[in-house]
Amino acid sequence: MINIMICGVGGQGLVLTSGIISEVARRAGYDVKTNDVIGLSQRGGRVWANIRMGEKVYSPNIIPGEADFLLAMEPLEGFRYKNMLNNQGVILMNNKIIYPSDVVFEKADYPSEAIEKMLETYESYALNATDESVKLGNKMVANTIILGMLASKLSIDDKIWMDVIQERVPKKALDMNKKAFTLGFDYVKNGS
Amino acid sequence: MKQDILTGNEAIARGFYEAGGKIATSYPGSPTVQIIEACKAYEGVYAEFSTNEKVALEVAIGGSFAGVRSMVSMKHVGMNIAADPLMTFTETPTNGGFVLITGDDPGLKSSQNEQDNRLFAKFANMPILDPSDAQEAKDFTKAAFELSETFETPVMIRITSRLCHARSILNLGEREENAKSVFVKDDKYCMIPPNSNKAQFFMKERLEKLADYNEENTFNVLEEHGNETLIITSGLVYNHLKELNLKLDVLKLGMIYPLPKKYLTELSKNYKRLIVIEEMMPFLEHELILMGIPCEGKKFFSFTGELDSQLIYNGLLEAGLVTGQKKSNNMTLETVNRLPLFCAGCPHRPIFDILKKSKAKMVIGDIGCYSLGVLSPTEISHSIISMGASVGITKGIKKAMGLGQPDEPIVSLIGDGTFFHSGIPGFINLLHQQKDFENMTFLILDNRTTAMTGGQHNGGSGTFNNNDDLHIDIKSLLETIGFKRVIEVDQYDYKKTKQIIDEEIAFNGISIVIAKGQCALKYKVKKTPYYVDPEVCIGCRTCIKTNCPPLKMKQYDGIAKLKSSIDEDMCVGCGICAQVCPVGAIKLVTERNEVKS
Repeated sequence: MINIMICGVGGQGLVLTSGIISEVARRAGYDVKTNDVIGLSQRGGRVWANIRMGEKVYSPNIIPGEADFLLAMEPLEGFRYKNMLNNQGVILMNNKIIYPSDVVFEKADYPSEAIEKMLETYESYALNATDESVKLGNKMVANTIILGMLASKLSIDDKIWMDVIQERVPKKALDMNKKAFTLGFDYVKNGS
Repeated sequence: MKQDILTGNEAIARGFYEAGGKIATSYPGSPTVQIIEACKAYEGVYAEFSTNEKVALEVAIGGSFAGVRSMVSMKHVGMNIAADPLMTFTETPTNGGFVLITGDDPGLKSSQNEQDNRLFAKFANMPILDPSDAQEAKDFTKAAFELSETFETPVMIRITSRLCHARSILNLGEREENAKSVFVKDDKYCMIPPNSNKAQFFMKERLEKLADYNEENTFNVLEEHGNETLIITSGLVYNHLKELNLKLDVLKLGMIYPLPKKYLTELSKNYKRLIVIEEMMPFLEHELILMGIPCEGKKFFSFTGELDSQLIYNGLLEAGLVTGQKKSNNMTLETVNRLPLFCAGCPHRPIFDILKKSKAKMVIGDIGCYSLGVLSPTEISHSIISMGASVGITKGIKKAMGLGQPDEPIVSLIGDGTFFHSGIPGFINLLHQQKDFENMTFLILDNRTTAMTGGQHNGGSGTFNNNDDLHIDIKSLLETIGFKRVIEVDQYDYKKTKQIIDEEIAFNGISIVIAKGQCALKYKVKKTPYYVDPEVCIGCRTCIKTNCPPLKMKQYDGIAKLKSSIDEDMCVGCGICAQVCPVGAIKLVTERNEVKS
């Protein structure tokens, strides 16, 4: 069983991301269930999704402490869901910060040190996928960079990933998405 | 066999399509919004988001009368609005198959209450199917149409928010063409006494036949491992239970109302204990007790919220069926919270900023994105009850003030979606027994879409959106009703809007202000972004208080004091921060570039 926990901020496109991973897993022959939290998701609140893939999946929910991967689309959100990971869990993070209101209003400090410590404790790969994606042409491909990072940790044929991404992203953005995927893939593969 | 991976919502739409369904209606509400959006993609289907759930149900009744398979879907609270036609329609023999989808929301993830609509089905004398994954959501939808036509009954499919949005793999089938003839004119469709008296007997017999049918266990599955305790459950809860990999005897019910009394009575004799696991109300538990079958349930499992694998395990632990430690179902650790906030460029932002600074002592809110007005840092709305309720409530408060309660300025909020859904009758009622000098200010936040559920059309969205066909002008409509003081404002002109709203709050009578700013998300507003000139900024945080995502205090190089800053990627250029800035420190980035070059 492979359990993937995704978390981020409403509006970051988690539903599209979990949709791509689940379809890739299905085509790779796994039984799959996902669980997307949908509600006030477009208004900057915290959002998360679960993907579970294996021989037979019953519940779409990951039990806390049993996630193999934590895909953090924002550092604080990754930190918030850290306990979802098992001891060997891997963190794949977009470290572009989106400040919550309490930090903006100077009522709370952004927990940067705790996040750093978390990244040191687990096998972690963190890069500013938002900045990288802006360099590629559009900040919306940040999640594709994270997908590439995940792909390099899963043994699923690259072609399946590419086919599914091709079907789900706008045609004109395909090239950019391919580049983003490779960027993330290589980042993890090369360990930096 | 062709497979796909779909959400529960998409699977229902697929089942409707495969069953030859033709009319699908709804009103957008989380968690069932996606059903109609998925139905619209299928050939040979007429799908609409109707004005409200009552109208949606009525359109589907029409489809059924005309002999075609029809489906209405709604958020759980939508049933309250649709209840009037439902409670009488169910007295008539269903012609074309009729399926009602209710999206219940255990845990209230996006709802104002947690009502358990299984009670509604019992109330309406109709059967309920309760799917546990996407495959069953599709299969049960198809089966529901068969049941509906065989037993001449509307059928409820009850799905919960988690399953609505959970994806799983399912096998796809072909569409079957399926239409009956138009209903034959008959007293059975004319619900006046004595026809409706006879209908009571028809419904009673229908339920008895359905219970007999459920004895065949077409939808129910028994798993036996030779234990002394039998677990009875249904829906997604079954899969959470299976996840625990316990060798328990489990009866998974697919048709959860009416229950097969003979089968359950006989089965219960094989066990020392029966334990029911169900979310929210003890519905199955009560049904079993009414049948004289002793069972336990809610003493081990919460009456509210979702039951996930961990909570199920903890309940079983309490019941003595498993041993070990309680499991935690806490997904998060304690850290800085992240509350939702209005999007960058949201037209509600200036309105709430103005209200916060205004003399309005009481602000009656309604359902929509502007529900966020309750939360920090806005904290301006004093009540939220149900769709369109703000208008009637405001009148009641004002009448009470006229009868001796302390009189103070009152502002009522309503969005365009809510206005068209059920706000209009409240406005008509305002003019009944109206007295002079009753000061009420109504703010209609007309962003030209039903925004909170993802930007669906409504009665007025055609003005902005070429794909929408309704262009109702709210101002003209209100003037036709008889309101004299209806003012439109563009809230992106902050100062002028503030002046008008302040004047109208002070005006001693009924006034209506329609704020015309469009939803920045739906209409993808992206204009030239702004930046903060730290040399001019005095660090007063007036802009920060508008709580716009791109704004944050920042430590600039060489400047000791914190100054405001704008994330230009996130800024959509609405200009509200620049207008509230007392020193003109916020400017268009094009102005900075000019300085640079």
